Amino acid sequence: MSEVYVVGAGQSDFGSFPDETYRSLFATAFEAACDSVPAGVDRSAIDEAYVGTLGVGGRQLGLPGPAVADHVGLDGIPVTRVENACAAGGSAVRQGVNAIRAGTADVVLAGGVEVMTDVSNDAVRFWLGVSGETEWERLSGTTFSGVYAQMASAHMAEYGTTQDHLSHVAVKNHANGAKNPHAHLRFECSLEQATNAPTVADPLTLFHCCPTTDGAACVLLVSEDVVDEFTDDRIRVAGVGAAADSVGLFQRDTYTAVPASQRAAETAYAEADMGPEDVDFAEVHDCFAIAELMAYEDLGFCEPGEAGPYVASGATALDGELPVNPSGGLKSKGHPIGATGTGQLSEAFHQLSGTAGDRQVDGARVGLTHNVGGSGGAAVVHVLEREEPRSSGESSGHRPREREEGGDDR
Amino acid sequence: MSRPAIRAVGAYAPSRRLPADAIDAAWGSSPSGVESTAVPAADEDALTMGVAAAKRALDAGGVEPNALDWLGFATTTPPMAEGDLLARLASMLGVPEDTTTRLYTGSVRAGTAALLDAPGSGLVVVADCPRGAPDDDRGHAAGAGAAAFLTGPEGVAPTTVTAHATHAEPAPGVRFRRAGSETVEGLGVSTYDRSAFVDPVATACEDVRTEDADAVAITAPDGKRPYRATGALGVESEAIRACSPVHELGDLGAASAPVALARALAEGHETVVCVGVGGGGADVLRVESTGTIPASLALDAGETVEYAEALRLRGELSDEEAGTGAAYVTMPTWTRSLPQRHRLVAGRCPDCDALAFPPEGACPDCRELVDYEAVSLAPTGTVEAATRIGQGGAPPEFAPQQARGGAFGVAVVRFEAADGAGSVSLPGQVVGEASVGDEVRGVLRRLYTQEGVTRYGTKFERV
Repeated sequence: MSEVYVVGAGQSDFGSFPDETYRSLFATAFEAACDSVPAGVDRSAIDEAYVGTLGVGGRQLGLPGPAVADHVGLDGIPVTRVENACAAGGSAVRQGVNAIRAGTADVVLAGGVEVMTDVSNDAVRFWLGVSGETEWERLSGTTFSGVYAQMASAHMAEYGTTQDHLSHVAVKNHANGAKNPHAHLRFECSLEQATNAPTVADPLTLFHCCPTTDGAACVLLVSEDVVDEFTDDRIRVAGVGAAADSVGLFQRDTYTAVPASQRAAETAYAEADMGPEDVDFAEVHDCFAIAELMAYEDLGFCEPGEAGPYVASGATALDGELPVNPSGGLKSKGHPIGATGTGQLSEAFHQLSGTAGDRQVDGARVGLTHNVGGSGGAAVVHVLEREEPRSSGESSGHRPREREEGGDDR
Repeated sequence: MSRPAIRAVGAYAPSRRLPADAIDAAWGSSPSGVESTAVPAADEDALTMGVAAAKRALDAGGVEPNALDWLGFATTTPPMAEGDLLARLASMLGVPEDTTTRLYTGSVRAGTAALLDAPGSGLVVVADCPRGAPDDDRGHAAGAGAAAFLTGPEGVAPTTVTAHATHAEPAPGVRFRRAGSETVEGLGVSTYDRSAFVDPVATACEDVRTEDADAVAITAPDGKRPYRATGALGVESEAIRACSPVHELGDLGAASAPVALARALAEGHETVVCVGVGGGGADVLRVESTGTIPASLALDAGETVEYAEALRLRGELSDEEAGTGAAYVTMPTWTRSLPQRHRLVAGRCPDCDALAFPPEGACPDCRELVDYEAVSLAPTGTVEAATRIGQGGAPPEFAPQQARGGAFGVAVVRFEAADGAGSVSLPGQVVGEASVGDEVRGVLRRLYTQEGVTRYGTKFERV
């Protein structure tokens, strides 16, 4: 089974772009991804594409995958649209990895795109609820913020998590996002601002919720047979895990964790032969502040129930022991549903390539991405590892994972 | 003459009150003799209030709904002019599908008409929430309330309708509602109107003894009109005041006299005259009681609301209907879920005994695809997770309700099976407020109206 490498990744700006279409945003991301490949890539090298997208402005759309592929000049290759709600992008990447591992492709484009801000308030409200349990949960009157707020209520009741803990997530992610030129909400906020913002769904305030966003992000995956054609700086997909669960919160055994995240992480860590202690930074699915806190626990960054104090300690800040969401996360960078997962991979690629600019995590060697669909109905975790430069002629395969002296700031 | 016994009574009124002072401040006048009116919540209507009163009567009487042979529903404000209203009411109450159901409407006398028709082993449900134009006396007096009476054959209970009489003649222009309109009107011809109220009462009373009544439960469109009939009835004002809900709840339409009757019986009055006046006529029922009647009344006042809020809650200021869009739940799908929506029927896995809600798909525990056995849940459950959806944050189906009713709670609630074997969680909207750990019970409310069809379901209310 071939190893899989990320040789390029890029994104459009995330934000609200009335002048753009889902095709034009995708094209921007595609070009950025191609431009990031150290040795360059010709589009004719791409064997297959997977495109994560949910609704494109809430309109039901068939064949958006072929449409964007055609738009960027990918002629005739197989293109599959992947829908897994907010985990569509991460799932598209996983499909690409699997295609290469299966030997059916050497170069795969995994992209994601969403346009969310060009429809009326009424229309956006209808389609934002499509990824929950629609017959019972939605018809109890909940929105996604409502379901995550219910999780927050349970987490608070069980562990004593506070609203300030939630606000720490917002403060941190906005601080990071302010450094990210692609981020949707590029401003910093204070703890007081976050806590005192208008309530969306108690205990979540506006600053505990991500925005709706337009954007696209693309990732180029290649097999070990061809990786040397594109780069000398190998960034390996060390592990992938995915899992599904009941779509409705009320159908699950726990409200204070996301079991699909736990299972996806378990698989990804096992594949990578790593654990949370090996991770240098993570891009996690912080659609709501409580989601980031639960991610810390589900991904093993801290013990169950300790996420609140953990974020408050600064451990996950850009200069902390385990920076989380250096991009700004969904909260500040934005959440263009289908592009969120591929956007996380793009951030991880740039962090591991040392091209993340002002938000660069020093010495990043292992990065984790965590993409959740709905309130936990699906989850995808990728572990990426920057391989150390090898002498020519060395065979491919697993690289030693010992930390280099001085190569890590922890 | 049939003499049905009344085995138990229930009553319900929305807890919000609009003080007459607030009406006076808005309009410079307030309805005669009305201190406050009951304002329904944004998700209440005659059907939901009727269900609330009916469940109380059934609980008080200790009668299972599947024992009923007859179900009568009386209201001048049915939430639909034509359709499956009675079948829905029966489903909400768990009354068998082969039960005789009858609708009484079109006149304020509908409530007493239903009482007069009720046979042994029946349930009379009367609920009303009349509306008038906001600038009209009827609009000012409009209240809301419901009563329910469990009936049985003569002799089964100590409370019996011992005599009754009816008299009616045309009275055009007195109180009417045009076809297609939601508001009652009247020409306001003062002496003519008064005669149309008092004269049929006087005539009907010729055949029924009334002057010895402890309490008179008479229709009260306002707080003054019923007292005009004291002469015809041969009673003092105090007999009416003893049970009339009009002073606190306002005009209850067809439920006016029945709520008064429920109150009089619950308070232990032994000789009660119930007088339904409307539609040009009067029904007079003499009800005699020789013992205590099981009763469960929920007529107490809760929150006081401002005038603007009352208008908002009643839907005077915003649209009623949700549009359609993504995540639409089709009507066949919806209809299949009615046992769950109406009565929280869960399923038990025949293989491993785990509970499932809704009872479909693979068993949540053993994961086998099974045919679930229907199982009832305990009357109360415990909140496991809760939030409150801020104004403007509701899913589009609930946006009209939220525009009227404001922020609402949403919870996940754990219910034990009624037999205590196992438990299951389900999501639902909260009526009022509830936090993690609170005990709640199910209440039937409107969920949303889409494509002209109102969908009803169970919400949760703190016990």
